[in-house]
Amino acid sequence: MLSKSQARAFFLGGTFLFSAIFVFLTVDTVRQNDTRTNAQNLTEDVLKGKEIWEKNNCMGCHTLLGEGAYYAPDLTKVVERRGATWIDVFLDDPQAMFPGERKMVKYNFTKEEKGQVIAFLDWVGKINANGWPPKPNIPIDSIATPQVPQVKSNAVVLSQPEKFSQICIACHAVGGKGGNVGPALDHVGSKFDSDYLNRWLSDPQAIKPGTNMPKLPLTDPERKEIVTYLSALK
Amino acid sequence: MRFQSQKVAYWFFATCMLLLSLQIVYGFIMGFARIGLDGLHDFIPFNTARATHTNLLVVWLLTGFMGAAYYIIPEESDRELYSVKLAYIQLLSWVVVGVIAIIGFHFNWWEGRKFLEIPRPLDYLVVVNVLTFLFNIAMTIWQAKKRSTTQLVLFFGLLCAALLYLPGMIYFDNQTLDSYFRWWVVHLWVEGVWELIMGGILAFLLIKLTGVDREVIEKWLYVVVGLTFLSGILGTGHHYYWIGTPKYWLMVGGIFSALEPLAFLGMAIWALNMYRKKGKNHPNKIALYWTLGSAMMSFIGAGFLGFAHTWPAVNQWTHGTLITAMHGHLAFWGAYAMLVLAVISYAMPNLTGRKLFTGMSGYLAFWASNIGMLGMTGALAVAGITQVYLERKLGMDFLVVQKEIIFHFIGMLLAATLFTVGIAYFIVDFIRHGLPSNEAVGKNLGDLD
Repeated sequence: MLSKSQARAFFLGGTFLFSAIFVFLTVDTVRQNDTRTNAQNLTEDVLKGKEIWEKNNCMGCHTLLGEGAYYAPDLTKVVERRGATWIDVFLDDPQAMFPGERKMVKYNFTKEEKGQVIAFLDWVGKINANGWPPKPNIPIDSIATPQVPQVKSNAVVLSQPEKFSQICIACHAVGGKGGNVGPALDHVGSKFDSDYLNRWLSDPQAIKPGTNMPKLPLTDPERKEIVTYLSALK
Repeated sequence: MRFQSQKVAYWFFATCMLLLSLQIVYGFIMGFARIGLDGLHDFIPFNTARATHTNLLVVWLLTGFMGAAYYIIPEESDRELYSVKLAYIQLLSWVVVGVIAIIGFHFNWWEGRKFLEIPRPLDYLVVVNVLTFLFNIAMTIWQAKKRSTTQLVLFFGLLCAALLYLPGMIYFDNQTLDSYFRWWVVHLWVEGVWELIMGGILAFLLIKLTGVDREVIEKWLYVVVGLTFLSGILGTGHHYYWIGTPKYWLMVGGIFSALEPLAFLGMAIWALNMYRKKGKNHPNKIALYWTLGSAMMSFIGAGFLGFAHTWPAVNQWTHGTLITAMHGHLAFWGAYAMLVLAVISYAMPNLTGRKLFTGMSGYLAFWASNIGMLGMTGALAVAGITQVYLERKLGMDFLVVQKEIIFHFIGMLLAATLFTVGIAYFIVDFIRHGLPSNEAVGKNLGDLD
């Protein structure tokens, strides 16, 4: 049977050998890192964004590249998923965007800081992470679900204004596509006239105090475009 | 206790009890937030609670390791501690740094890197503190006439733990490298040198509690820690699958993670075999429960449950979900928390001369906390599996899925309550032992060596 000195040799030899391999692989990983992470795109904004990310311990709720606290969504692909405009609006008042849901601290970032956070997240989303996160691989139609009655709407014919698909769609659905935080907007045009919709979008609180709908930063032409679109949804 | 200076260990253990209680409080804050009761959001938002919860864990375990070292090293070296005064200064400064860090978290002052949230200026103080601790231990060993494997393995473990804190203090502006070297601290601590410390402490306890020949126990100690490093060092690779590192980490991490349970299995078999070979019965059964319990629960929590989601094909779905939290809870509990409680259970009667181990409350503490922790792990496991299927495999929205698993968190809170009852029993027993007494110096209650 093994003697004590052999056992010691096993421990010391094993430790040395595997530490050496580990150091070797580390050197190679660092060597490949610039290419894999697009280090040439590490702009001033990205680095500032990382600082803001760390200074506020965002990882204490969110996860990034799957590392974090699992309390709030993984943000690796958030720029691809939500778009910069939406994140920009969201950061102004996170709770307004998901009323009654899990709360996020309102950090009062400046316009510049928000841009930096977004730049950082955008850079992270483009890291070559060996195909992570994987796309969902159980097709919804493989699960037996009752047929959803088809919503009759002329939504398909109309093209959505850009702002609408960037922001509104995160909470509202049209033609079955979009979020379910706010009501579906398929027939909103037959319920409200364009004047009302315009006033509603300008300041939801003024019309219905206590509503969960946030006041969105829309320019006049943008608002007009959305009102025209919504009025046509009948 | 054999030596007057071992008394300093008591104050480390007392600090442990305090920090553990606080950790549980923050755990409850997080648990309630998860079921929608986040009334404290404005004062203690989730990220504060989370950072406090995990950092308290690290700090109380390290405090426990230090206390264990201050208790074990004099006995293994057969002499008084090099400097008792230095040990007290070190404890005091350690607590001060910890308190500042935790208060800082509540004012948005931190480094913001998972598990290494302590702000950078405090990092330097931690380094000075740990160096002081190591100096004290090293001098004790250096001036001792006796060298034992247990003593050396424990010291080597503590030294490596200190050295491996350093890579976590380098600033990287690249998220991938930042994460890469952060794991040098976190993984190589938990699945490397801490296991060395664990092996050293286990060996000491087994020698004391089973009376098996030191040579036999120490030979297997080398084998067990050898297995740990063999699997654990390259096992770091399982954190490198998806953070932007080369693809070969999938293979390296996968293979060596698959070996990690073997190290823990080895540890469990070793402890149980030594117990079976025991010379005669040690009266402190409760210490034996915690010791053998730690060896077995670490195999289940760290070894088996870790293995359950480190294979790359599985991990790509479970990475960054509650499955990790599930594994984390039982792993830390089994491997390190139970071990520290084992040392405390063994040392307290010796430090104070009071034989409280004959009562019922020790067993109640053991069973309630263990069943509670298993319940928490089970609840997190079900929540985690549900999350993986709904969010990852089906592509449902994160917040929608979180609502689906609220029920499991209610279960977790109930199990956590049982766990807390167990810990409360343990702490009450700790307090009932009273302070270390001079009359207890020179003898150990019921030791066999």
